Amino acid sequence: MKTCNFVLSGLGGQGILFMTKIFAQTALNKGYNILGAETHGMAQRGGSVVSHLKIGDAGSSLIRAGAGDFLISMDEAEAYRYLPWVRPGGMVFANASAHGFPDDRVVPYLTEHKITAFAMEAGKTALENGAPRSTNLAMVAFFSAFGQGPLDADALRQTVASVSPDPVKQVNLKIFDVCHEQGKKLC
Amino acid sequence: MKQAFLLGNGAMALGLLEAGCQVLTSYPGTPSSEILPETVRFAKAADLNTVIEWSVNEKVAFDNAFAAAISGKRAACCMKMVGLNVAADSFMSAAYIGNIGGLVVISCDDPGPHSSQTEQDSRFMARIAKVPVLDPASPQEARAMIKTAFEISEEFQVPVMVRPAIRICHARQNISYEELKSNLTPAVFKREPTRWASTPKFRFLQHKALNEKHLKIAEKFNTLVPYNRHTIQPEQSFALGIVVGGVPSAVVSDLCAEFNRTDIPLLKLGAPYPFPEGLASQFMDACDRVLVIEETDTVIEYMLRDRHKTWGRLTGHVPMEGELVPEKIESILNQALVESSLPPLSDTDSTKAGFALAASLDLPIRKPTLCPGCPHRASFYAIRKAVPKAIYPSDIGCYTLGSNLGGVDTVLDMGAGITLASGFWHAFHQDGEDKPIVATMGDSTFFHSGTTGLINAVYNDARFVLVILDNGITAMTGMQPAITQGLRVDGRKGNAIALETIVKGCGVDYIQVVDPYDIDHTIDEIKKAHAWALSPEGGIAVIISRHPCVIGLRDQALPEIFEVEITDECDDCGLCHLRFECPAMVRNSEKKKTEINPVLCSGCGVCLHICPKHAVQTVS
Repeated sequence: MKTCNFVLSGLGGQGILFMTKIFAQTALNKGYNILGAETHGMAQRGGSVVSHLKIGDAGSSLIRAGAGDFLISMDEAEAYRYLPWVRPGGMVFANASAHGFPDDRVVPYLTEHKITAFAMEAGKTALENGAPRSTNLAMVAFFSAFGQGPLDADALRQTVASVSPDPVKQVNLKIFDVCHEQGKKLC
Repeated sequence: MKQAFLLGNGAMALGLLEAGCQVLTSYPGTPSSEILPETVRFAKAADLNTVIEWSVNEKVAFDNAFAAAISGKRAACCMKMVGLNVAADSFMSAAYIGNIGGLVVISCDDPGPHSSQTEQDSRFMARIAKVPVLDPASPQEARAMIKTAFEISEEFQVPVMVRPAIRICHARQNISYEELKSNLTPAVFKREPTRWASTPKFRFLQHKALNEKHLKIAEKFNTLVPYNRHTIQPEQSFALGIVVGGVPSAVVSDLCAEFNRTDIPLLKLGAPYPFPEGLASQFMDACDRVLVIEETDTVIEYMLRDRHKTWGRLTGHVPMEGELVPEKIESILNQALVESSLPPLSDTDSTKAGFALAASLDLPIRKPTLCPGCPHRASFYAIRKAVPKAIYPSDIGCYTLGSNLGGVDTVLDMGAGITLASGFWHAFHQDGEDKPIVATMGDSTFFHSGTTGLINAVYNDARFVLVILDNGITAMTGMQPAITQGLRVDGRKGNAIALETIVKGCGVDYIQVVDPYDIDHTIDEIKKAHAWALSPEGGIAVIISRHPCVIGLRDQALPEIFEVEITDECDDCGLCHLRFECPAMVRNSEKKKTEINPVLCSGCGVCLHICPKHAVQTVS
């Protein structure tokens, strides 16, 4: 059976593992098997961090370059770094200014491989709402607007609600809704 | 039935408790570190009586587990692969002596390497020690193999190694499990000096007995399904067969399934040593050629012993170093298939174009850095200011990243910060030169391997400054509690041991404790210590640079938060982001000055003391 493959990238400390947990928990709630690969140890100290998540029945945890369905990146440069992992016809979502994204130098590659790329200033939105550390779930919300893959927006939002600690739950849900709406405008 | 989304290390924790492991010991090290805390979590939830400890180092961990096993209990110890080097003396000896209760050693490998000093293959260590080894392909299989390992260990009275690679340890998988129960097997120690304290004469007999056990275990491994099996039916023959072990066996199976290649026969060796000769012969006989894809070295490839048929690392088909990531395995398979006149799995040209594109973009190089507010940053800055032209031997931990501040010249292994310092001293002193040397070592590393080197240095009259970076926690591997705090892995109180007492006990007379956040005072004390070390009446001077870890002990580390800003006095000299290397201090190339990144800034306030232009000010 073919798995649905998420590649999540960013910098150490940006909450990539928490973002992975939101997708994984949602998939679990829907009854899927999941297998993922995480970055730990020295690479976490400010380095480039990537997390792989396969939804469905897989034997090995790493996603092969060229086999990722979705690349969601907390940082524009880290989106480009992991571009080789996106399959032809796959999608890229980056925390970046829509102005100037994607970089001119990658456009021909995206076009040739029918990869579509979308950007939202998730970090800015999270900061404006007083929770800069919630940039990760802002990106989840942005992705959810496109209705792609087996994890729908309602289910993802429900996971965000269930995993957010009480003090930040309301603000997290607000960020989720705002970013989901921003994504909707690009669909 | 319960379900959890577990790290491979969590799956192995579950496997240990399901198998009735009564005693578990470990020293943390990536990628093994989470096995022990996960075991604590499951044991607490099920109210088990399992004895679980962070030991001071891996050798100590092994010995503690061994004692339990020769008392008839099921025991295990886990470590990263370089930790097994530290435990090697015990490990080798224990294989001869054997055990009563099952004894399982989990040695976690780091092909890449991602967070280690070597890429060594623990299966080779198992071979040297003559210890049977199991090599899991997935978290779920690692969990199941631990039970098998205990059974083999008890049946043959020999320690058994389980060797998960990093992609097992740090994979995450949904896993279901049943209620856990305590194993109440009592400790019984039967005196038998010819076994437990055997002299060389008896060691010879034990070696012979071990070799005989191996023949029987190899026979068992011939039919140890599903870990060892092949897909060839009698009378079939093939141009090319693939021999796989560990993580690559899962990757190769996934690739064959994805590209629908049922025509490629596989021999999976999840239990490669003692080598299942019969099973391997069946497979070899049916194939014109075999390609071996294993991590990280050539264990199976050597044991196949057929230089005419075998392709692998020794023939250049598989890279000799680095992790075998799926795209690499895909291209190795493609090449071997084409060389065997078979169709390749796939066309990888577009992936190659993707990598070429990413490489052409000049993306920022993200080297790991000390965290914003890290007390080690202040310590290294002070060391460089106080003794600028020294040799700086250092050690293994977060503070290895002091290299970014120019404060780390050598990193060999755990404890070598001190032993290299004394070695440098004598090498230069021989030529009549009193070389300035400032060594650094973390608190946990000091307890692990620092004391013997320090005693040796004092005894042989070496002269240097040792700065012990005491952040109250074992940080790099995931915030394990430190001996100085006296907290044990399950949260119970142990007995705290003060660094000062140990350092004094090693024969050091000069000990000063500083807070590196008080940077000017720290610089002064290091200068004084350096002067004393080189004075005629001097010796080894130890500075304990003590400040809690800004991540693991945040509240204690930051009793006061300084909100800082950069004034117009900033002349863009770059000292704060280049030499002090604070990630929260970022150069604005348009304004040609430094700015503070408020998301990253911890508010430690150390930067208030380092700017030569006094351009860092608290926000009024």
